[in-house]
Parts: sequence; C-alpha cells; structure tokens
Amino acid sequence: MNDDRLERLLRGYGLPEPPPALDQRVLVQAERILARARARAAIAGVAREFANAFGFGYVNYLIDLVTSTDAEYRVDLI
Amino acid sequence: MESDTGDRRHVDRDRERGLGLARGEEAAFTALYHEYRTRLHQYALSLVRNRESAEDAVQDAFLGWVRQLAAGKAPRQAAPYLYASVRNRCLDRLRRRPEVALEDAQVELLVAPAGDEERIGLRHGLNRLLLALPEEQREVVVLRTWHDLEFAAIAELQGTPLNTAIARYHYALAKLRKELEAHE
Repeated sequence: MNDDRLERLLRGYGLPEPPPALDQRVLVQAERILARARARAAIAGVAREFANAFGFGYVNYLIDLVTSTDAEYRVDLI
Repeated sequence: MESDTGDRRHVDRDRERGLGLARGEEAAFTALYHEYRTRLHQYALSLVRNRESAEDAVQDAFLGWVRQLAAGKAPRQAAPYLYASVRNRCLDRLRRRPEVALEDAQVELLVAPAGDEERIGLRHGLNRLLLALPEEQREVVVLRTWHDLEFAAIAELQGTPLNTAIARYHYALAKLRKELEAHE
C-alpha cells in the first residue's frame, strides 16, 4: 500500500456526529448570551437618547472616549 | 460640533449593533455552528481521546466566539479562531488531566460509509492506529485528511515550521501503512 492509496482510503471515511445534547447546550447558551447583549444594547440606546435629549450629550462623548477601543481581531489564548 | 458628530456616530453604531443582534446574528451563529460542529468535535476527540472533555472544549470554543460576537469583537475569520480555541482548550485540559490511556480511549474518529465493505472492515483497526499515533502526528493527519487544512495552516496552529508539519504527516502515514500491512 502506498501513501496515495492510504490517503484515499482515509479520506473515504466520514466523521462521527456530535451528540444532540451538545448542540442543545451550545445553541441554548448562545441564544441567552445574545439575548443579554441585545437587552444591554437596547438599554444603552435609550440612555443615550435621554442624555442627548436633555443636553448631556457630552457625557456620552466622554463615556465613548473612555470605553471605546479599536476593533480587536484576536484569538483568546488560555 | 466635532464631538456632536462623533457622538452621533457612536449612537448609530450602537443602534446598528443592537438591531444586528436582533435580526441576524443568532441565525448567523446557528449557521456557523452547524458548519463547524462535526469537524471541531472530531478534532477535539482526536486531541483529548475523551468524549466529555472534547464536548466541553467544543462548547467553550463556540461560546467564546459568541461572547466576542455579542461584544461586537468577533474575529474577522471564524475558522482560525475556532480551531485555535478548541486546540488551546484541549491542551489546557491535557495539562490538567493526563491524556486518556489508549486502552481506555473509547472514542471513534471515523465513520465508514454504508455498504463500503473494505472501509467497514478496516475501521476499527484504523481508529485504534490513529489513536495510538503520537498526539502531534495524529493532529496533522486529522487536520490534513478530514479538514482539508493546508500544511501552512496546520504548522501555524501547532506553532511549528512548515517542514515539521509535513514531516509529521509523512511519519504518521508511514506508521499507519506499516501497521496496516502487518495486519493484512
């Protein structure tokens, strides 16, 4: 048996399916995380609108100045 | 005026992020999950040789991604992030708990196609041979054979020179070939 034949043999196999319980866990938790983020974004949006409407737009500006960062494209190493 | 313009831009960005989360990202995440779940699960199984640890690693990697997405910091490319994340989490588990002994490893890395008698007959033996390979060789074979990763990407993932990744692959194939021939 040469390398080509062995490679073809190996490539012909499929991969095992992950258990449905894993899918369930990941998708449910992801949905929760995104729902929380959505709620936070909505609250922040309303707070901003209020601050702007009552003449405290500079507060928003200062908060952004302190908290905003450049986009990060990194891999978390643990 | 400058600060007002800047402030407006932030408001718009936050609003867009909020609307984006509401309308698209959950579906986008589900699609991403279904695209990578099987491959990452097999990759994790091949690294830790233990079902529970592999599932935990895959779950943590995907939830790490979704947390970054929720924070508006999702990496530009999903695949490199997810592979590196699964790998790091598996290696971290191996550091804390030694690798499962080969005789205790009850994981299947391969599924033979229905009706393919040759592959069905060889599946169990090949699975054991793959699990018996040194970890770094097993990783290269799995990523190259079933995940179609280029050697350059595998080398980057393993933090080794390109030639090392290629050599590991060929050493592994030679071992598999020798063992298969011995069993024939």
